[in-house]
Amino acid sequence: MTAVSNALWRAFGALVVALMLTPLALVVLFSFTDNALTNFPIERFSTRWFRTLFERAEFWKAFGNSLTIAGSVAVISSVVGTLAALALARLGERLANAALVTLCFPVMLPALVIGIALLVFFNKTGVPFSLATVILGHLVITQPFVILIVYARMVGFDYAAVDSARDLGASPWVAFWTVTFPMVSTTVIGAALIAMAISLDDFIITFFTIGGGNTLPTYIWGKVRTYLDPSINAIGTILLALTIASTVLALRLSRYRG
Amino acid sequence: MLAPAAAVFAVLFVAPFAFLFVVSFWRVKTFKLRPDFTFDNYADTFTKYLEPLVFTMAIGFAIATLTTALAFAFAYVIRFKAGRHGNALLVVTLVTLFGGYLVKIYAWKTILGTEGILNSALLALGLVREPLTIFIYNPGAVVVTLTHFLLPLAVLPIYGSLRGVRDITLEAARDLGARPARVFLDVVLPQCLPGVTAAFAFCFLIAAGDYVTPRYVGGPYTSMIGNFIEGQFSLKFDWPSGAAMAFTMLGACLACVAVSRALLGLARPR
Amino acid sequence: MAADAKRPDGGRTPLVQLRGLTKSFGPVVAVRPLDLDIYAGDFFALLGPSGCGKTTLLRMIGGFTEPSGGTIAIDGVDVTRLGPEKRPTNMVFQGYGLFPHMTVRQNIGYGLRLARVAVAERAGRVERIMDLVRIAELAERRPDALSGGQAQRVALARALVMEPRVLLLDEPLAALDLKLRKQMQEELRRIHRQIGGTFVFVTHDQGEAMGLANRIAVMEAGSCVQEGGPEEIYRQPKTRFVSSFIGEANVLAGERRAGVVTLGAGAGFAEAGADGTVSVVVRPEDVRLDPGADAEIRLDGRLEDVVFLGPYTRYRVVLDSGEEVVVHAGDAAGQAVGERVAVGWRRDRQRLVQGS
Repeated sequence: MTAVSNALWRAFGALVVALMLTPLALVVLFSFTDNALTNFPIERFSTRWFRTLFERAEFWKAFGNSLTIAGSVAVISSVVGTLAALALARLGERLANAALVTLCFPVMLPALVIGIALLVFFNKTGVPFSLATVILGHLVITQPFVILIVYARMVGFDYAAVDSARDLGASPWVAFWTVTFPMVSTTVIGAALIAMAISLDDFIITFFTIGGGNTLPTYIWGKVRTYLDPSINAIGTILLALTIASTVLALRLSRYRG
Repeated sequence: MLAPAAAVFAVLFVAPFAFLFVVSFWRVKTFKLRPDFTFDNYADTFTKYLEPLVFTMAIGFAIATLTTALAFAFAYVIRFKAGRHGNALLVVTLVTLFGGYLVKIYAWKTILGTEGILNSALLALGLVREPLTIFIYNPGAVVVTLTHFLLPLAVLPIYGSLRGVRDITLEAARDLGARPARVFLDVVLPQCLPGVTAAFAFCFLIAAGDYVTPRYVGGPYTSMIGNFIEGQFSLKFDWPSGAAMAFTMLGACLACVAVSRALLGLARPR
Repeated sequence: MAADAKRPDGGRTPLVQLRGLTKSFGPVVAVRPLDLDIYAGDFFALLGPSGCGKTTLLRMIGGFTEPSGGTIAIDGVDVTRLGPEKRPTNMVFQGYGLFPHMTVRQNIGYGLRLARVAVAERAGRVERIMDLVRIAELAERRPDALSGGQAQRVALARALVMEPRVLLLDEPLAALDLKLRKQMQEELRRIHRQIGGTFVFVTHDQGEAMGLANRIAVMEAGSCVQEGGPEEIYRQPKTRFVSSFIGEANVLAGERRAGVVTLGAGAGFAEAGADGTVSVVVRPEDVRLDPGADAEIRLDGRLEDVVFLGPYTRYRVVLDSGEEVVVHAGDAAGQAVGERVAVGWRRDRQRLVQGS
């Protein structure tokens, strides 16, 4: 009885994992075929669509923009978010939780609402739309994740180590760089990578704040709207490789588990 | 040290949001914004867009319910049934969380399409003779796609709260005479209710505010309120109307979540 | 000592009977085949160091761990295969396991609710048990608003209200600080006296076992090495392990040849038994410094250390063999550290155990 029900539960778990992964796996699979349409049967495996893609200047432009934005977002949000998390960790638990909930509010909202709010705001305050406005927009949704991840690390942080450093003659500044930061640095890098993944993947906020030009997601969007070009599978595969690689690396580094 | 984060939050989130709220009371004349204080935009939302608004809430409710139920069962497996494989399941969840919003929607379009993967597989297997058109361009396709997208987002808060349920409380309940089903209803469920509620609210807001999914896989008759909001900004340039619609949508979402929560509270076993 | 130290009359059947009970986790044997009887009214301690299998044993009695072999009978009924919800036992968990989403009153009433006890009776029983363990004023609190000692009392009340045939307690006082532990010991004794019943508890603290139980089973590496009343276990330890685990003991190595025991430290005496290595165990309070004529065993050494501890003074003597003997004496004898001294004791104060 329990054996049967446990087997059923496990089967369900496996099914959900399959459901989560299959669509992504199919995109990757078809990106390496010769098919002109994304469907069965698969005629031949090839890198044709990658080669087509790599010949297009607009792809490289979008790719470069994506990396510029994601890199900047990762650096800025990890600095800003880490500072905030360190400050919150020094507050009382109740106050820190209230601050966390507040700062994480943007993540709860549909990206569409954040996108249009930023569009109107930048327009009315005369900020010209560019990659910089996209970076600013992404900070709104990546910062909460950095704060959450680093704060989670700080909960079990041994402050006695920092106090010991002070006791042994380190100034607060020296204690931070020789003790605190080395202790949390892998978590911070992990958080930065998560921020990078979110930024790389974002379409909606980018769409409303970029003005002209493309990132990988808006490039896909333009193509899907017009016609189904199998090279989209190839872009999708590249995008997935980037986001999943940075997430996996981040999980390894930060040991963060939700 | 909190200052930079607070600045990002205030300048890039609170200020734009507050300004958008102000704009929702303005009007547009000859493609120019005019400051005003009128409720016309809200009135228009309810007269012209009531149908998509109601439809959006309905489909949002369906998606949030389905996703939360699936996510709960999956998180339950991770916490109680998967043993040492639980960590692997969690990693899969986290990996698909941050990867490929647009890619996922595109994937479902290619899977469900008339010339798509599912139909071609069915044809190749000889199960159907003509490609089926029932898979895509209907609300069902939107539900499937968004459920798939939201599932990892819903699993995490629920798993987080299940992780807080100590094994010892389950043993204590059994010791006091509770059979496994009772243990679940009396001890597991109440303790993870906050996580379940958060996941539901999260899914509801994100689903109801989406416009890319209905555009791609929903077809012309499955427009959600997000499509109309986006239209006000990218086609009609009627920002006040769009802003009013956005705030109406958020208000409706919050109302729906509050009602769902109350219903859940009533249905909760004593 | 808690209750009547004498064995309940031998003719009665035990309330809990363990026969050949074993448990293995994969290749690790937690409990070796073990027989144990617990009688109605016992306050029974399972005592042993961590990892000796005592908690596994308790969890098997409660139904939380399925035995690999053997049987458990309670009240003459075989309960070996029954789940915890179907056994007439209730457990006070280490760490308490209070339901965080219920108030104290709801926690305590939970089991009665499941047993479909009528509302009025339920309320009365919950009220009475809260009075008994003195937590009436905490009734509407949530577990996260309780101190460790208070949570302990709630956990106790939640189990006691079920009026179990056997109350199981897993390291009941381990999480409390010293003062609270003393106080809870007295409480547990009072409650056991007041309601009768059979309590079985697990502990690694010999003082706690001595202070609470009328019967003690000492466990080592998955086996029960000795079972008996506290005094019996203290006075007549069956193995060197038991002697050193319960209280402080001097253990001196020796050898028996043809009924004559010779200590490595010098002295010898006749005592019948098998040839081989033996150990002589003697409590520090039974050893005299500069012993009188009644001390049959006498050894010489050097006084190494003297510590005044209030009720007694503790002397550490290093014998000429290199072995140490600790002496507890009520009166300061005036010897200085470094002086040569003699120690000795009466033969009826020592125990001889086989092996080293």
